[in-house]
Amino acid sequence: MKLRLPKKFLLIASLILVIAFITLAIYPKQTIDFNAEVKPIFNKKCIACHGGVKQQAGFSLLFREEALKKTESGKYAIVPGKPGQSEMIRRITEKDPEERMPYKHEPLSDKEIAILKRWIKQGAKWGQHWAYAPVQEEKVPSKKNEWIKNNIDQFVYQKLQQEKLNPAAEADKATLLRRVSLDLTGLPPDSASAQIFLSDNSPTAYEKLVDNLLATKSYGERWTSLWLDLARYADTKGYESDQGRSIWKYRDWLIKAFNADKPYNDFLIEQLAGDLMPGADDDKYIATAFHRNSMTNDEGGTDNEEFRTIAVVDRVNTTWSALMGTTFNCVQCHSHPYDPFKHEEYYKFMAFFNNTRDEDTEMDYPLLRQYTGKDSVRFAELMSWLNKNVAQQQAKENYHFLKTWQPVVNSLKCDEFTNGAQTGWLTELRNYGTCRLKNVSLNNSTQFMFRFVSIHNGGQLEVYVDSLQTKPYCVVPVWETSKGWSVATATIAPIPGVHNLYLKYVNSKIKPDHLNGVLMEWFRFSQPFPGKDKPGYAVAKNLFDSLLYAKPETTPVMVENGADMFRTTNIFERGNWMVKGDAVTADVPHIMNPMPATAPKNRLGLALWMTDKKNPLTARTMVNRLWEQLFGNGLAETLEDLGTQGMPPTHRELLDYLSWKFMNEYKWSIKQLLKEMVLSATYRQSSVTNEELIKKDPNNIFYARGPRVRLTGEQLRDQGLAISQLLSSKMYGQSVMPFQPDNIWRSPYNAATWQLSKGEDQYRRALYTYWKRTAPYPSMITFDGASREVCATRRIRTNTPLQALTTLNDSAFLIMARSFAIRMQQLGGSDVKNQIAKGYEAMLYKPATAVKLNALIELYNQSLTTYKNDATAAKEMAGEKEKPVLPETAAMMVVANALFNLDEWLNKN
Amino acid sequence: MTQKEIHNQRLVKEAETRLLHHYTRRHFIKESAMGLGALALGSLLTGCGNTQKPIVDNYFDPANPLAPRPPMFPGKAKSVIYIHMAGAPSQLELFSYKPELAKLDGQDCPPSLLEGKKFAFIRGVPKMLGPQAAFRQHGQSGLWLSDNLPHLATVADEIAMLNAVTTDQFNHAPAQLLMHSGSARQGRPSMGAWVTYGLGTENKNLPGFVVLTSGGNNPDAGKSVWGSGFLPSVYQGVQCRGEGDPVLFIKDPQGMNRDIRKASIDAINKVNHAQYEEYKDPEILSRIAQYEMAYKMQISVPEVMNINDEPAYIHEMYGTKPGEARFANNILLARKLVEKGVRFVQLFDWGWDAHGDSADNAVDVGLINKCRSVDKPITALLLDLKQRGLLDETLVVWGAEFGRTPMLENRDGKKMPFKGRDHHGEGFSMWMAGGGIKGGTTYGETDEIGYSIVNGKTEAFDIQATILNQLGFDHEKFTYESQGRPFRLTDVGGKVIHDILS
Repeated sequence: MKLRLPKKFLLIASLILVIAFITLAIYPKQTIDFNAEVKPIFNKKCIACHGGVKQQAGFSLLFREEALKKTESGKYAIVPGKPGQSEMIRRITEKDPEERMPYKHEPLSDKEIAILKRWIKQGAKWGQHWAYAPVQEEKVPSKKNEWIKNNIDQFVYQKLQQEKLNPAAEADKATLLRRVSLDLTGLPPDSASAQIFLSDNSPTAYEKLVDNLLATKSYGERWTSLWLDLARYADTKGYESDQGRSIWKYRDWLIKAFNADKPYNDFLIEQLAGDLMPGADDDKYIATAFHRNSMTNDEGGTDNEEFRTIAVVDRVNTTWSALMGTTFNCVQCHSHPYDPFKHEEYYKFMAFFNNTRDEDTEMDYPLLRQYTGKDSVRFAELMSWLNKNVAQQQAKENYHFLKTWQPVVNSLKCDEFTNGAQTGWLTELRNYGTCRLKNVSLNNSTQFMFRFVSIHNGGQLEVYVDSLQTKPYCVVPVWETSKGWSVATATIAPIPGVHNLYLKYVNSKIKPDHLNGVLMEWFRFSQPFPGKDKPGYAVAKNLFDSLLYAKPETTPVMVENGADMFRTTNIFERGNWMVKGDAVTADVPHIMNPMPATAPKNRLGLALWMTDKKNPLTARTMVNRLWEQLFGNGLAETLEDLGTQGMPPTHRELLDYLSWKFMNEYKWSIKQLLKEMVLSATYRQSSVTNEELIKKDPNNIFYARGPRVRLTGEQLRDQGLAISQLLSSKMYGQSVMPFQPDNIWRSPYNAATWQLSKGEDQYRRALYTYWKRTAPYPSMITFDGASREVCATRRIRTNTPLQALTTLNDSAFLIMARSFAIRMQQLGGSDVKNQIAKGYEAMLYKPATAVKLNALIELYNQSLTTYKNDATAAKEMAGEKEKPVLPETAAMMVVANALFNLDEWLNKN
Repeated sequence: MTQKEIHNQRLVKEAETRLLHHYTRRHFIKESAMGLGALALGSLLTGCGNTQKPIVDNYFDPANPLAPRPPMFPGKAKSVIYIHMAGAPSQLELFSYKPELAKLDGQDCPPSLLEGKKFAFIRGVPKMLGPQAAFRQHGQSGLWLSDNLPHLATVADEIAMLNAVTTDQFNHAPAQLLMHSGSARQGRPSMGAWVTYGLGTENKNLPGFVVLTSGGNNPDAGKSVWGSGFLPSVYQGVQCRGEGDPVLFIKDPQGMNRDIRKASIDAINKVNHAQYEEYKDPEILSRIAQYEMAYKMQISVPEVMNINDEPAYIHEMYGTKPGEARFANNILLARKLVEKGVRFVQLFDWGWDAHGDSADNAVDVGLINKCRSVDKPITALLLDLKQRGLLDETLVVWGAEFGRTPMLENRDGKKMPFKGRDHHGEGFSMWMAGGGIKGGTTYGETDEIGYSIVNGKTEAFDIQATILNQLGFDHEKFTYESQGRPFRLTDVGGKVIHDILS
């Protein structure tokens, strides 16, 4: 039978088929991916009006619970499963321009509308941005290519294939040697280890080199250099007078931690909350100086509470941008418009940091006191007596007090002055002057102690409880403190509860209106020195008293407020610290992993949460940063922002693969992670490129060639010192002052000057250079260094004439060139050509091409002619005042100066 | 509208701008390129025709970050000379004529002025302090000026006076930062850095943004007031110095003559060229160009910084003394620099903090001496720019971080040895001239004792918006992407002060 179908039927059938086809095309079978398909539409077209900042018509797309709520019109914008009933769909498809969304903007495309419809149909499920989803173990691609050396290359190769690019061959040994040495240790390899590597043709030669580099002491210094930017480390306090601060022990702590390969989780926990760890020793306290690198404002007339608050806010922002790759600052004023953080979550997070003892005092209290010399012996004796003779708690309290001078009440808490004033961080009372000390807890306190200076004998401090009209609560003699600070002590009777104390200075021996009476620094309410009935009490008490007058080495550290000093944290309305909103308690943002069950709700708990393997940001941020240090760009370029507004990663799977491995397999070992990176074929590629590749991938984000990146200011200095054999191998200690031009420091109300360091301290590695925030070391700033007033998460590299002038003319670099010229002469024997060739080879581990060599010889000859005719110029060039200088030497110095300016020397190739 | 609503509206506006730019993070380039027929920007854009996201997100080419660029629209001014009196002079002894205050001299300050107010140093109830200078009207406009500024009086008609400037910061360092970077905290780029980022530099052989300081100290906020904040460091101000090298490291080492330096740069560039042939990295070509430029700067910077060869009448006019570190020399240098195409010259003169704690800091002694040291040179600058036909295209701004109280300072409740005034953020004076400013205007008014603003309130953001406007930038659209959001100099505030524009 012949099948006949009417034409009409055929037409209808084909129409149905076409519709079905179109529908299928618009509504593909698979589930809509919120992050990849929906969120970008929201961010681009909707969230400006319907997001965190503004919730136009009562509709917000930031959180699911908000988006599903009834809007102001009484309608539901989104009805899960029912696009037809969703007001949002009606409005984006509306014809009337007054009704249609986005209002007064381009309508959504058909494709976008289809996605949204389909997404609602599927239940309007919210998804997580990749960076907030936990790190999963990634499946490694199984590409087959002989270029591939490890799993990193698998991911990179897969992407290269997608982009139709080919990887480059391995760089020559000399280039690779210099690259990996500078990357891992910040220094070029010394000639001995260079020789070993270059002559070792075994397949493991490179890995051996890497292992050796990771084991050097220089390794810790190089990575500390990076961390100092994040920690906004400086040797001054910042702001107007920018006075000095002694916090270098924190730098030493970092160097030791990196060299010991302290697991990154412990590394962070100790820096954030070392003081709260059980049995915290000096080292753990010094680690907490990380967050004491925030600035302190000594300018006259500033409000200490304002600048304490700013320091706390800075700690919150630094914690997020440096350690968790998130720009949290926005949330200070309003809910994040693009990322799912709520306004109050900023302040909940701030509550973790809002209860430390620091209060913007000029002295940077609290300080860790490390006794030296005889004092350290005294301290040890005292502690051993206390541990033997008194209760553990009492011994602990006295230890804590002598180590940190806490808990005390800072005198800047005084107010209601009459005939007295707050002078800087001190309370000054003139004769008969009074002030109030608010809300002091006197429970169980039987001793009152305060630190002061005075120029008069015969004075006394009268203390009144709650009113000056009562009888004095106690009277403490105040004497002339000819040798500086004194501590006065008096016995008091305990009074239950919290009270206002009034202080009055009285001295019948001086005129009533005499200008200076007493200047007080802090007050302590405590138990008296314990163990009165024990043998050796008198000796021990003497030790205690003498330690009050000791001059220990000090470092600003974190110390938590006791219960009676607890600060309530409030939301600041629109980020304004003066306008306080609701009180909040410490917590982490709801979008992130919850606090681990065992974690306390304090800084220690916070640190445990950050280093919990479920925290999606901590490992990714560090892996991304280490990658950036080696490759010049992060896998996600915006190191400081992995959120929806950051640049998406070029190789997300690789980032996650490494992050997973970092936490689980390498147990947070930075050295092992770096090793995997530098052993990859990706890293070892030649950086030689061509015009076509530059056009296809100008910034090398697909890694079809090796990294070629200009060295940092620090590396340039260190490399120059190393090659000219001036570099001091001395590690640790106070910051040094190498050569710097005059008149760089000019802070008001600050007479400090740059005191040129002597001997080998003149030639220390750059990270030991004294860092003044308002006037940082010029050459490093010129090479894109950060002033470190606030955390710098990334340095943006530039290329400027001022950089050229620095390496050409800065005396610091000139001294290196002079020294190197002498070395070149020694290396090359009597033949000038050989001297230059050997010099080049010493710097770059490979011979110079004829073109390069000839250019340098020509420079030598021209200079030689000049210096032969001008003995004075030759002397000047060599920096010699007395002895004559051979024209040959002066000419070689010109060549060395040129060598230090070659592009291949300024870059790792 | 409530404060909160206004605030939200501004944020929304920002968010909308953000939205418009979502597709490309190089939005500013695109905007400028579209607005101005592409010009030199074409080459920058060719790299992003492909589908991948460009890795450099802002408006600058790291290989040539100071290339001259056109503004958003043609501006009246080509360059700015910003004169900042660090320490904050008293408006009541210079510009703000308050005869009523004289009548209150010596009386206790009424409690209504003190309620809910915070001062840096005044405690308890201070006395009122009448003006410590005589005032007169000058020019056709009848501008009120004190006798402390006899020279400036002769150019009164060039000046637009702002008499109701206000700030919420009453400490020096934060207030200076707010004035110059739009934020009282460190970390934002300074105005000069923004301008250099936006316009590049016209004279390749000189820095685009030069800073000159006098008065013995750097400003209270240190180098952050000319810092680059989150902009690349290349845009920070270059401090030129009256003593030592005019620019750090500009001089060749002793014993190296110009011929040798030339030969050495030739050799460096020859080797670098060979390196380029091998590696083909365009960054190497850029380095070659930077070395050539460095060599030229070594000639042009000392040349422009040398005032010895200026004619005698110029020295007489400015009161300059070559070889000395003084304000007058810096003012003359500022003129020379803008003449050579420098975009932004920032002057700081330290020592205006007249609290009355010493004679130098007294409003009737030290302040008068400070005025003498700046009055003649500043006047000379306006006259000299005018006679050279440069005033029209050079915006001159004079100001400070805040003003001073009509009360006599009583630090910590005590009588001070000299007459002084405390910091006061409300109703201080600044002025602008040249660069499209309508001379002979006065904008803003304070009450009869100069304590509160009556009308024409002007904030740091308004001054910044106006300066950017004169240079051809819409301050609301001139942004830089950092930390995941666009930033602007004027944060979320700022309105152009149209009343003083010609």
